[in-house]
Amino acid sequence: MTEPGLDPQDPYVEWIAREARRPVELAPDLRARIMDAVRATPLPARPRRGLGWFTAPRPLALSPLTSSLLAAGLVGIGVFAGLTLTHRDGRSPAEQPVAVAAHPQLPGSDSVQVHEFVLQAPTASAVSLVGDFNDWSETATPMTRTADGKWVATVKLPVGRHVYAFVVDGATGAKWMPDPAALQAPDDGFGTPNSVVLVGHGNAT
Amino acid sequence: MTDDAADVRRVLSGDVDAYAALVDRYYDQCARYAVRMLGNRDDAEDALQATFMRAYRALGKYQERDKFSAWLYRILVNQCRSLAARRSQRDKVFVREEAVLLNATDERATPGWSGEDEEFVQRVLSELDPLLREAFLLKYIEELSYEEMSALTGVGVSALKMRVKRAADRLRERWERIKHD
Repeated sequence: MTEPGLDPQDPYVEWIAREARRPVELAPDLRARIMDAVRATPLPARPRRGLGWFTAPRPLALSPLTSSLLAAGLVGIGVFAGLTLTHRDGRSPAEQPVAVAAHPQLPGSDSVQVHEFVLQAPTASAVSLVGDFNDWSETATPMTRTADGKWVATVKLPVGRHVYAFVVDGATGAKWMPDPAALQAPDDGFGTPNSVVLVGHGNAT
Repeated sequence: MTDDAADVRRVLSGDVDAYAALVDRYYDQCARYAVRMLGNRDDAEDALQATFMRAYRALGKYQERDKFSAWLYRILVNQCRSLAARRSQRDKVFVREEAVLLNATDERATPGWSGEDEEFVQRVLSELDPLLREAFLLKYIEELSYEEMSALTGVGVSALKMRVKRAADRLRERWERIKHD
């Protein structure tokens, strides 16, 4: 072996490396279990080209099509519209026509409140918010950069405890990180620490 | 377009089964790293399952200018770090029975392979500090360059070289101890 750093006079280390390169076998059904779990998970979000869609002013809360479908009383469309509103709240709070979205302290309802997430990361090229509320999707909730280098996302969250993290795109690629200003969640085994937000109990973080 | 990129696109277009091709392509390599890093089969299986699930959920984030294997490996390395940390809190002693279980299949699959050597290797690897073990495995078992390791771990090249050297030193010291016992 000729890799730099390995002492060729070190047959023991060489032997360890050679033995450790042998293949291993795990449970025979593990691949099938992984694919079963994958099939039970919603399809990952498609990548988006830039953030223009999110930051462009969008004066309409509901498209005419959605409105007409709502008027037709079709089951399920209400859920879709609710999701659409939540995404717009999260991505462009300053441009929202809905007062509640611009005011983080104002509850959206008894069971849902608006929460603003903020991260100071002036050198990041993009930041997104991931959490149990968006199925840990790195594309669902991109954050908006402010002039002073903060990244902000405002989302509607059900009252209760939520676990989240930030995905920061910087010089070394995307990196998951906890919110330095929040409580840290117990390790979930997913490799990076997460943060905790308590919504709706008079204690925002 | 590489096979990986084509498969990622198929998955994102709604073909979930294309993900099975990605899993098949990297399963063995990931399994080996997880077992060598974590030292037991149960944790390695947990790490593998969580890695492929997290990669699937984040697939929309994967960018084709990056190697899929490196992207997946970064997730795996983080999973194993977390599990290793949890395990070291739970149980600092290497459990011999786990090694026997781990090697039972290999013994049958490879005639003439006693399994004792692998058990021993697994034990001495488990005795290394996790960060040293990680660097050693990435360098000498996965045979990555230091630049690739740095991109994967977020640790600088010189620090990684130091870890690999220290890992080799520890292994050598261990060998010296055995020789004199």
